[in-house]
Amino acid sequence: MTEKEKYDNAFVETFGNVNGNLPTLSYQSIDKWDSVGHMALIATLEDAFDIMMETDDIINFSSYKKGFEILAKYDVKF
Amino acid sequence: MMLNSKLLVGKTAVITGCLQGIGKKTMELFAHNGADLFACFQNEDNDISSYIKKLSNETGVNICPLYFDLTNISQIKDAVQSIQKSKKKIDILVNIAGITNDALFHMITIDQMKKVFEVNFFSQMLLTQYITKLMLRNKQGSVINISSISAIDGNPGQLSYSASKAALIAATKTLSSELAPSGIRVNALAPGVIQTNMTENLPADVVDKFMSKIHLRRLGLPEDVAGTILFLASDKSSYITGQIIRVDGGIG
Repeated sequence: MTEKEKYDNAFVETFGNVNGNLPTLSYQSIDKWDSVGHMALIATLEDAFDIMMETDDIINFSSYKKGFEILAKYDVKF
Repeated sequence: MMLNSKLLVGKTAVITGCLQGIGKKTMELFAHNGADLFACFQNEDNDISSYIKKLSNETGVNICPLYFDLTNISQIKDAVQSIQKSKKKIDILVNIAGITNDALFHMITIDQMKKVFEVNFFSQMLLTQYITKLMLRNKQGSVINISSISAIDGNPGQLSYSASKAALIAATKTLSSELAPSGIRVNALAPGVIQTNMTENLPADVVDKFMSKIHLRRLGLPEDVAGTILFLASDKSSYITGQIIRVDGGIG
């Protein structure tokens, strides 16, 4: 599985069937991505990539797009 | 005598301040009750390693020592990262490590106060942030903070200590309501005068004064506090959250 597939899967695993909407997905743009969903997404990403995200990055993880930039800081190469 | 009801079988706990006093007693009690442990110490030491090995053999639980300084953020992160990498489900966090810097109000600098807050509050919040993030994955957990009766009653010469412990009480109350929907309970203990290295140098007249106010007419022992921590960590307290429990022998 590629890193991109792992990344996408984390969103699907957390929020359900959002495949078609992924590029436009952002915090609170869907009901499931609330503060609780946010922490669930972070947990799924941390497990998928075996990383531990900084609090600042958790706060700044505002969208699917932004996530690429943040995960790059943890040496995730897409 | 060790309270040994196997209340924590199948659970894993992170305990800070395991070198001595309440922390050491809690580590022993948890091990005897079947919990696997991440036991946190400030400095690595051969005596600690051999003691942990002995305790682990005696009780049949896994005890992983972690060494970090609570004033060093990157050391805290490294320690949590190693917990995360272990893939163990973390059920319990006990924040015990703490320092004091006793001085009358006009005899303590703001920097000295900040140092006490750094260890007793901010570092513990950072650790709690990381560990509860792991607990969120399993939608359950118990966090136990060690505050102090001085945070509730005040105590001359202990402004920074009392204030930092009062901050822990506020954090306990706030976190308990924030984390309850995720199945995580957060409680605190407010120990009274406990016989530890923190109190061993108290002048005799101060101890006598305390004794005269304690209904049970004795100083507390680390095991008195550890027993209450065990209760809050176990499922026996599954409907208790946001509470500050005094373990002080009755004071008044």
